[in-house]
Amino acid sequence: MKIFQIALGILAAIGGFVDIGDLVFNVAAGAIFGYQLLWVVVIGVIGIIVYSEMCGRVAAVSKKAVFDAVRERVGFGAGLSTLVAAQIVNLMTLAAEIGGVAICLRLLSGLPYRWLILVAIVALGIVVWVTSFDWIERIFGYGGLCLLVFAVAAVKLHPDWGAVAHGYVPHLDTEDPLLYFYFAVGLLGAAMTPYEVYFYSSGGVEEEWTPKDLGINRANAIIGYGLGGFLSFTLMVTGGTLFLQQGIQPDFLGSIALGAEVPLGEIGLLLALVGILFAVGGASIDTLFAGAYNLAQFLGWEWGRYRGPSGAPRFTLTWMVILVLALGIVMTGVDPVQLTEYAVIFSVVALPLTYLPILLVANDRAYMGRYANGRLANVLGIVYLVIILAVSLSAIPLMILTNVGQG
Amino acid sequence: MSEELDLALALLDHQLLDCEGRRCGKVDDVAIEGEPGETAEVVAILSGPDVWRARSGLVGRLAARIAGGGRVRIPWEEVAEVKSDIRLKKRAADYGLGRGDDRLRPWIARIPGADR
Repeated sequence: MKIFQIALGILAAIGGFVDIGDLVFNVAAGAIFGYQLLWVVVIGVIGIIVYSEMCGRVAAVSKKAVFDAVRERVGFGAGLSTLVAAQIVNLMTLAAEIGGVAICLRLLSGLPYRWLILVAIVALGIVVWVTSFDWIERIFGYGGLCLLVFAVAAVKLHPDWGAVAHGYVPHLDTEDPLLYFYFAVGLLGAAMTPYEVYFYSSGGVEEEWTPKDLGINRANAIIGYGLGGFLSFTLMVTGGTLFLQQGIQPDFLGSIALGAEVPLGEIGLLLALVGILFAVGGASIDTLFAGAYNLAQFLGWEWGRYRGPSGAPRFTLTWMVILVLALGIVMTGVDPVQLTEYAVIFSVVALPLTYLPILLVANDRAYMGRYANGRLANVLGIVYLVIILAVSLSAIPLMILTNVGQG
Repeated sequence: MSEELDLALALLDHQLLDCEGRRCGKVDDVAIEGEPGETAEVVAILSGPDVWRARSGLVGRLAARIAGGGRVRIPWEEVAEVKSDIRLKKRAADYGLGRGDDRLRPWIARIPGADR
């Protein structure tokens, strides 16, 4: 029974890994640079594994989620700045994901986009209101597994496997190194999106994890996110094989699904669209709650789905307000793919102040006792903090120099 | 000096829980008393937006203005336990904590399915 539960959790984590940021950046990176940037995805996936394992462990042992740790460790002023940055990026991401859901619905139904935004928002609101935490995770996680169609597509497109393997070795073979680094930053940002750790750590508290659940935490983080990273590879290989040769820039979510239609026909297209719909829909729920978790944790309000809506009134009102704000943003007609690019690049800037407090708390033996970070977690944690810092300092300059990846 | 650091780490910005385990604010500041040369003692916990004004300059004052002020002083005798959270002896409402949630609850409860 326990093994079964763990397997379910892992499946959900695989499906839950990919969001609109991963879709956009992996396929676009493939279309421009072929398989050259696969190694960056490996670095990003290990990074998210290291930090989600850490914050899951902190949640299980000390019952603290990320913004509890942020406020305790960096204090009120710096913590508040981190909160504001996180909330802005979160809202942009949520708006982009909801736009993505509406695009998928349009491609599936042919109805007008703006109506489908409303449909998407109402559907999300209802799902969130009536469905319990683990069912939300499961429904969207399993639905997202339809994205595995891209693994079949990648194989069917007959890539040059030698070149794919070479992509896992860091190398720079391009006339436009700035664009290359811009995409490297974007891929890292997409893999290590901060909302994933906000949501993951708060979810650990919601599910009332104790040190007994540390095995589940480790399995979810390592296997779930590891295999989720595999989905990113297949997206990039599909993009690199199909779009690079044809010289197509996949600027629309629909063209990403094309990657499965060309080798597999209608059924490929359908599976890809359903996969994207669930992956992006699940990510919008994660992002929506991440915003409410952050604010409530920073201010010390009661929070959590496990309290029920009237058990945590301000938390409930917060996610409702965030949903309405996101509706306003998508309704302006802003292009979700472009919004995604901005959200991912800005999120990279906010990463260091999110991850540093997690590392500090995970090291604090006063709370963590024998569950504090071991040597491996600390070495990796510090290495990644350095990487994140470098990436966050270069993100905005690269975005400006490459004209948001337009070269 | 080391105790001062410990105090800041162990109390400041930590979660307040009432006797029923309800989250009801953060330790926004502490009141310390003691003559120079004597042992300083924490006499109360301070919580609420008004307390932010004194903490982070302009940012704190701006945040306090947006949040609309308010401050609660909880005497140290009311603290039941200090772990990673600060647990109080009575219910949140007895100290005037968590009032925002209490005021909002009837409205949220009107939505069907809110009481789960």
